[in-house]
Parts: sequence; C-alpha cells; structure tokens
Amino acid sequence: MPQLEMMPALDYQSDVYKDAYSRINAIVIEGEEEAYCNYNQLAGLMPKDAEELQKLAKMEFKHKKGFEACGKNLGVTPDIPFAKEFFGELHGNFQAAAASGNIVTCLLIQSLIIECFAIAAYNIYIPVADDFARKITEGVVKDEYLHLNYGEEWLKANFETAREELETANKQNLPLVWTMLNQVAKDAIELGMEREALVEDFMIAYGEALANIGFTTRDIMRMSAYGLAAA
Amino acid sequence: MFGLIGHLTSLEHAQSVARDLGYPEYADQDLEFWCSAPPQIVDEITVTSATGQVIEGRYVESCFLPEMLATRRFKAATRKIINAMVHAQKNGLDITALGGFSSIIFENFDLSQLKQVRNVTLNFEKFTTGNTHTAYVIVRQLEQASKQLGMNLSDCTVAVCGATGDIGSAVCRWINQRLDVKELLLIARNPERLQALQDELGRGKIQTLEESLPQADIVVWVASMPKGVEIDATTLKQPCLLIDGGYPKNLGSKVQHPGVHVLNGGIVEHSLDIDWKIMGLVNMDVPARQLFACFAESMLLEFEKWHTNFSWGRNMITVEKMEQIGEASVRHGFRPLLIENL
Repeated sequence: MPQLEMMPALDYQSDVYKDAYSRINAIVIEGEEEAYCNYNQLAGLMPKDAEELQKLAKMEFKHKKGFEACGKNLGVTPDIPFAKEFFGELHGNFQAAAASGNIVTCLLIQSLIIECFAIAAYNIYIPVADDFARKITEGVVKDEYLHLNYGEEWLKANFETAREELETANKQNLPLVWTMLNQVAKDAIELGMEREALVEDFMIAYGEALANIGFTTRDIMRMSAYGLAAA
Repeated sequence: MFGLIGHLTSLEHAQSVARDLGYPEYADQDLEFWCSAPPQIVDEITVTSATGQVIEGRYVESCFLPEMLATRRFKAATRKIINAMVHAQKNGLDITALGGFSSIIFENFDLSQLKQVRNVTLNFEKFTTGNTHTAYVIVRQLEQASKQLGMNLSDCTVAVCGATGDIGSAVCRWINQRLDVKELLLIARNPERLQALQDELGRGKIQTLEESLPQADIVVWVASMPKGVEIDATTLKQPCLLIDGGYPKNLGSKVQHPGVHVLNGGIVEHSLDIDWKIMGLVNMDVPARQLFACFAESMLLEFEKWHTNFSWGRNMITVEKMEQIGEASVRHGFRPLLIENL
C-alpha cells in the first residue's frame, strides 16, 4: 500500500506564497470585518439579544486585528479591494435581508454560512500556517464555534417558523459559497490548502449546524450540497 | 449504542444507491464530488440477541469509494475514514466497527497519528477493526465447510493467501494451535513478514501463489487489496474449498468450475432478522440476516458492554481473543455462513 505523499515544505517568504497570501489574508480580514458589522446590525434587529450580539461583534473585531497582524508579520499588504468584491454578493444579500427584517436569512448568512466557512478554512489552515499565524488562528477558531452555536440555538428555538425561510435562504446563498471558494482555490493551494478538503470541512460544519437546528439527514444532504455540482 | 462505518463498492454503485435512497444531489455526481462529501448516518439499526437482549446502532456512510485509491487520491480516502470516525464519536456511538476498506486504510496510512481532528480528540478505544471476529468466523467456516464437502482436515493442505495480514496471521495461528491439517502454505508479498510469521508459527511452507494453488485442498483468501490476480480454476484440486475472505469479494464470479466451492468468507448469519436497510444495498444474499463479521463484532461488543477496541493494530490477534469473541458470537445467535445447495 502506498504511503501518503509528504507535502513539500512551504516557503512563507517566497513571492508566490506572499502573493497568494495577500488575497487570502485580505479575505479573512474582510470576512471578520463583515462579521463585526453584521452582528452589530443584528443587534439592532434583535433588541432582546443585543448585548450578546454586540459581544460577538467585538470578538470579530479582535479577530480582524489578529489577522492584520498575521499579514504584517509576513510583510504582506492585504488586497482589501479584492476581498470587498469577493464578499460583494453575500454582503448585498445580507443587507437586503436586514432591510426587510428577515432575521432568519441574516442569521443563515452570518451565523451559519460565514461562520462555517471560517471554521472550515481556519481548521484546514492551522496545520499549514506559519507559527505566528497558527497561534492566532487557533484562538480564533475556538471563538467561531461559539458564534456558530449562537445562530444554531436561536434557529433551533424558532425552527418551525424559520424552516421555510432557511430553505429559501440556503438556495439563494449556498451557491455563492461554492463560487467564492472556486475563486480562491488556486491561492489556497499555494498556502497548502486543498479545495476538496475545504468543501468537505464546510459541509461537515454546516451539516452539523443544520442537524442541531432540527433538520433531518435527508434535508441536510440536500441542503448542504445545494449548488455544489453546478459550481 | 454501536456503530458501523461502511462504504459502497464503486462510484457506479454509490450513484445507484443514492438514487434508490432518494438523494438526487448525490446520485449523479462524479468522483470529485464524492471526494468532498461528508460522512452521514444513513441507517438506524435494531438487533435482537438470541438471549432476547435488544441493542440499537447506527450506520455511518463514510462516502469513501475504492476509486479514490485507484486514482491515488489518498488524502481524500484518509479524510473520509477519519471524518467518519469523528462523526461516529460525535454522535455518541460507544463502539464502532471499521468496515470494508476503512480499517485497511486506517492501518496502512497510519492514521492513529491523527488523533486531534478539528475540535475533536478521537478516542480510538471506541473503534474496532472487527478483524478478530472475522478471523474467528473464517476458521469456523474452514472447519465446518470442509466437513460439508467430506474433507478430512488431517489429509488437507491449506493455503492462506495474505498470510501476513492481520486476519491472515490470526487464521494461521488458529490453524497451527487448534487444527490438525496436513500442511500449511503461507502466501504473501512481503518476504520478511513471511519469514517472521513462519518463525512465530514454527511451521508453514512459504510459497508463491502459483506454486501453492494446485496443491491446496482449501484456500483461504484474505489478501487485503485487489491485485488483478487471475486464478485458473482448471489447475485447482477437486474438490477444492475456496474461502473468499478478502475485500471486495469477487472470487465467486472469477472462479466457476465444478468441484471448486467458493464460500464468502468472514460473513455471518444472525438467527433473527435485523431491522436495517443497509445490507440490502451491499448485495448480501439474505440482507435481513447476513452481514460482515467485522460489523457483527461491534454488535457483540455492545451486547457484552465491552466498549473497547477489541481488535486494533496489526498482527495482535491471539487465539484466546478469537475464542472469546467466538463464544459471544455463538451466545448471541450468530453463525458462520456455510455452503448452500450442496
């Protein structure tokens, strides 16, 4: 039986690595910024939970600072305009949902999709990160599980009324995730992260969240793979 | 609660099962998709022992496919197994068997080093390869099916193909200590391991497959990987008992000759119907009663509340442990599959 091929050692200071890192690092920084804004906006929509949501927002802000430090540590300038465009459509969908007061859709986008995407990406990144970034990312990923849990618990408590909107919001937003993932697949490879592992980890985290909320295995298999084949 | 980690036999098979079960998102997808697919619990199982005890279990589909090995997508293959184990543990399964290629991949890629997976620390004590029960069932099949064919073991030459593997070496140990056979032929690819086995047993003739087949009255086939080996049935003795304990089981379709009896090895029949869907999908002849002995091992460990990795590591199976699991097997109503329609 053949053995697993060892990954070639990554050169964190090479131009190729730093070039890819400038986009991936920007996405992470922008993702945390997006999360910070989204939780603050949700606090306005959900006055009863405002205090907790503002606490989550603050954590996201701290994560953003941490990832900015990771870029600086490698001497990389993050390509923020690229990252803003990268999140553009998902951002637009969140804003439209917030404007119509569709809390369920907002939670699906932020607390489920963005958090699961972050959890998957950070977990895949940790084993291949430089020492400085690894420590920061390990701390961040622990927080992100808490954030995912917030959304899960709320949606679980409101499952019967939220179910239909969750299905619609899933159809509208999950295909965007696959497109976004494809957009950075090449850069991710330079950082030692494989697309299929990212997809699998995302589907695991997302599927577990859907299960906790109350969906059946059948629902989960349908919902978590939605749009993947076409992407 | 016990668990079984399984997989389907090919991409085509997986697509058709997904279609039958009503998962269109998975039905028409290519290997690329399956390489990214997460594990799922797709069956809930209730088993009643011959003693009347009732236990519950779950079937975890790992989404591993043999094509992942054939196309050298080893990382995907190993991810499937590890992620299925995490899924089993997260779902509170107390003892889970690694079925099909799962335990082979776990061993060969040395996955015991991957204990920390995301936010889960895998507890390997909650998993078993099921190989002790498989080896026990194979030796019982050897004893009982040879009798069915009117063979006298003390006149028989037995060839074990894949003798140095976990199951193969256990079968050799049993034959050595418990049976009176005329000759034991040891066949495997690695000469050092063969020598070590021969030294341990203090007997056994090391031979090539080609040399051994025409001499053997009984062939126990437990090679772990398909090798594309062709067997010329006309060169075999008649009668000849061929116990196909390998995975996947394909000797029955490869070797068809009067006087050559192919028995699916490592398969047990339960004395009562098992409430599950999944064995129908893996093409068992009697899906409500027949199952892989490795799966049955996790049921036995659950019945006995031996929530421990009873079979683990390589070449650690002793005759005493085979007897221990064998007694439990009999107690709860399992029996080795034998030759039908003689």
